Amino acid sequence: MDKIKLLSRPIILGITVLFIALLYFFIDARYSTIFPRCPFNLVTGLLCPGCGSQRAISAILHGDFLHALRLNLLLVLSLPLIVYSALVHTLNAFRTIQLRQTIFYSPLFVKLFLAAVILFWVLRNIPVYPFTLLAPA
Amino acid sequence: MENSYGSEIPHTPNVQPKNWLVESILATIFCCLPFGIAGIVFASQVNSKWVAGDHAGALEASRQAAKWTKISFLVSIAGFIFALIFVFFFGGMAFLGSLGVMGVNG
Repeated sequence: MDKIKLLSRPIILGITVLFIALLYFFIDARYSTIFPRCPFNLVTGLLCPGCGSQRAISAILHGDFLHALRLNLLLVLSLPLIVYSALVHTLNAFRTIQLRQTIFYSPLFVKLFLAAVILFWVLRNIPVYPFTLLAPA
Repeated sequence: MENSYGSEIPHTPNVQPKNWLVESILATIFCCLPFGIAGIVFASQVNSKWVAGDHAGALEASRQAAKWTKISFLVSIAGFIFALIFVFFFGGMAFLGSLGVMGVNG
């Protein structure tokens, strides 16, 4: 019973991720208008660090990594971290001794990541080349 | 769920509270709201306060990080569902309008 309870979380999460992946594969966000626009972008006209991420997911699912880089650099660069975290979580579901994701508990790493996000946010809103490369297109 | 990452409230005082960093990163990238960034700021505080020996402060920062991450996800999920309903509703209205069933003029 305890085993089922422990496994239910990654299974529910896995099904959700699969469902979202199928959605963004079959309805390509780069060419569809059914997906909602970023509310921050809608209100301010500025780009947020997440703008272009829906299109980037569709691009990745279609194997177009270069286009994904162009749509949201931060997403593609964060992907290894997210995959790593997901793998550790999945492994932990089967282990009694839990693995710790030590990199996320390093004060330096978090500060660097925060700085990167804010820098990305500011730079992609500068309408001058080469910063325009950071804006989704 | 007695593991260090799964529970929101740490069960032992010797384990650093969950800092919600990955969840905050996901919220920042996918939710298009500044709340995700608030989550990263608090995640940073969890780590630095824990290292400085301020365990109560780290615990409080952990709660704040959890709060902002959850707000971010809930707001964006609600917005997403609302947008889809909106699209299907008006898509349906336009379809009916095109059949001449309803007078949809706006």
